[in-house]
Amino acid sequence: MSGFSQHHAGRRPTDDPLWLKLLLGTLAIAFIAVLLLLPLLLVFKEAFAQGAGAFWAAITEADALAAVRLSLTAAAIAVPLNTLFGIAAAWSIAKFDFPGKTFLVTLIDLPFSVSPVVSGLIYVLVFGLQGWLGPWTSSHDIHILFALPGIVLATIFVTFPFVARELIPLMSDQGRDEEEAAATLGASGLATFLRVTLPNIKWGLLYSVLLCNARALGEFGAVSVVSGHIRGQTDTMPLHVELLYNNYDYVGAFAVSALLALLALLTLVLKSLLEWRFADELAAAHRH
Amino acid sequence: MSAIGLRLTGSRHVLPGFRLSLAFTLFYLTGIVLIPLLALLLRPFSLGLAGFWTEIATPRVLASLRLSFGMALLAAAIDAVFGFIIAWVLVRYRFPGKRILDAVIDLPFALPTAVAGIALSTLYAPNGWIGAPLAEYGIRIAYTPWGVLVAMTFIGLPFTVRTLEPVLGELGLDVEEAAATLGATRLQTIARVVLPSLLPALLTGAAMAFARGVGEYGSIIFIAGNIPAVSEIAPLLIVTKLEQFDYAGAAAIGVVMLAASFVMLLALNGLQSWAAKRQ
Amino acid sequence: MFLTVDSVTKKFERFPALNGASFVAPQGGFVSLLGPSGSGKTTLLRILGGLEFADSGSVRFADLNWLAMPARTRNAGFVFQHYALFKHMTVAENIAFGLKVRPRPQRPSRSEITARVRELLALVQLPGLEDRYPSQLSGGQRQRVALARALAIEPRMLLLDEPFGALDAKVRKELRADLRRIHDHAGVTTVFVTHDQEEAFAVADLVAVMKDGRIEQYGAPAEVRRNPKTVFVSEFLSV
Repeated sequence: MSGFSQHHAGRRPTDDPLWLKLLLGTLAIAFIAVLLLLPLLLVFKEAFAQGAGAFWAAITEADALAAVRLSLTAAAIAVPLNTLFGIAAAWSIAKFDFPGKTFLVTLIDLPFSVSPVVSGLIYVLVFGLQGWLGPWTSSHDIHILFALPGIVLATIFVTFPFVARELIPLMSDQGRDEEEAAATLGASGLATFLRVTLPNIKWGLLYSVLLCNARALGEFGAVSVVSGHIRGQTDTMPLHVELLYNNYDYVGAFAVSALLALLALLTLVLKSLLEWRFADELAAAHRH
Repeated sequence: MSAIGLRLTGSRHVLPGFRLSLAFTLFYLTGIVLIPLLALLLRPFSLGLAGFWTEIATPRVLASLRLSFGMALLAAAIDAVFGFIIAWVLVRYRFPGKRILDAVIDLPFALPTAVAGIALSTLYAPNGWIGAPLAEYGIRIAYTPWGVLVAMTFIGLPFTVRTLEPVLGELGLDVEEAAATLGATRLQTIARVVLPSLLPALLTGAAMAFARGVGEYGSIIFIAGNIPAVSEIAPLLIVTKLEQFDYAGAAAIGVVMLAASFVMLLALNGLQSWAAKRQ
Repeated sequence: MFLTVDSVTKKFERFPALNGASFVAPQGGFVSLLGPSGSGKTTLLRILGGLEFADSGSVRFADLNWLAMPARTRNAGFVFQHYALFKHMTVAENIAFGLKVRPRPQRPSRSEITARVRELLALVQLPGLEDRYPSQLSGGQRQRVALARALAIEPRMLLLDEPFGALDAKVRKELRADLRRIHDHAGVTTVFVTHDQEEAFAVADLVAVMKDGRIEQYGAPAEVRRNPKTVFVSEFLSV
């Protein structure tokens, strides 16, 4: 019998031919590099275009710091509220049955499919001078628009789905067994939630709060509509970037952008780490 | 014993907290979402149906809608093609640095839109890294409608890639092996067996990219040029009208965009059930 | 004309799946590769089908250096345990696939393809199901379609990887009988992998009992049963 044949067929039928691998690989990497990476690199390059000193001056300038403070404040209010909402919504939707559930879930998904500008527009239509409550609020000297409350509202609108959308399927998959067991053992609602539900959802919760926060700090369109763009007072970080850029202060604009970009990168890194860790936990949680 | 029995069978719900959590949820949603949305839906009709129509039917408004929808469609198509290639490479091939490349895909998702906007604008401007060499060939991207396309392609890419990746990952190799034993070449297998089974996911991802592109504001206004009836996107027109206190006009465009979002949501749901049926 | 398998070995990473498997079967014969999981029977089958590559050894069939040919050109029909039907295609399109992907000069006309599909559906006893989708069929029906699809290319060799493993006992018996009938009708050399000795003995002319990547014993079913050559074989068959 003939010995080992060197005339192999080469590769498995489910492997792509080498020329195809090279072509697709090059196209993919080139597309990502040009479309995604170049803009990111540009942000940092422009931020330091006049040296680290100019960069530092730009981000410690009074209006820039005010913008940072405003962004952080808005996020500090919006994110916890949205987290509370997410937990409440997920609890009622995942652990109970009632009519209209699908409609509720669709409603929760809505901000994701609506333009950010429309998200801001709706609040102007309620609180603006020609809006429903506009005349009432201005006669009582309450300022919603062009002030922190308006910014917080707009931020809440665009970011509230994050926590809910993550927790609803997660808690649905986990079922009610453990909570029911806790109920039979005499635990109150709060105790059940804290001791039984929360540990099961902790990674999903952390993950979605992270995303919610990143979006809250970075939101532009919705906040732009409600803020009034008052420099040093109602400019969040993204709005301040716009202001600086339109005034040809490129180093300033990119310096503040670099801060936001760093936040984005940090979010991506944490997100990846959590996905890794979370994937195991999630698989374990689903097996219950 | 009997106390527990009473608890389980007596009350309407076994688990506590239903009324509280549902009430809070509904209250939140009503205040934050429903009432403002209602304000939007009702405002244009303060002009009556005919008034609504006149608001929309001006050349400037129609041009902005055409631009937003048209470019978003084109961008979604480009994202579908390259999203497929990228998902294929990320799922099927092995090479160093793959993990990093995979994480980078989420960048448009994580990066604030204003930052993306000024970066893209600077990049594709006539003196930018990419804009300058292209200008030599007479191609202008920034401050033209093509800038809008680039920005929309940028922000839509994660949707197509991320929708395709899990589906590709779950595709068993046995159908491809079967095709090979039946005599198909690799390209025939990809075209006739793999791509058709990916179609629902492809369309879903493209639809999501489209929806995002239509509504996008921050990434686009810096690179676009914003010339009325030429390179002015619909969201920008809304903002302009608001600045002029033309609430009704702004709301009219807002309603059109909201209606489009609603249709997209329905279409996406339809796509999901179509995909589920084929399994 | 024989199918000659000579000393085929295969390692996955460091696991030796095949340790020198050899057998000879006459053209048109029906061979069953029988053994527990891990015995290498599926690996050997996949090597015959071109879905894996052997590390060493050779296979000759129809005067061809079998292992040097890519799966595409071997014309070896393969039936998978979980059917591997193309879910987005109808039954007819599935069966016609092997004919449609042929290069133009060798491609039959549309009417010829339709006729052939109808013929094959009758052969596997599923007349009239051309326009159904796999999701609308039962497990047994799906496997019949898979068989028809493999037969459509007029294969020189038919390879089946535990094809009835996912089906219940009654359906198994029916399909077994149909497979034998089709084999006898078409005269195609068939290699059939299974861990179920009753099945192997009922359907094959020649049985290869495998363990740890080797063929422990090879012969006609009655012969193997009467004279088990090793302890493993006699224990495996007595269960």
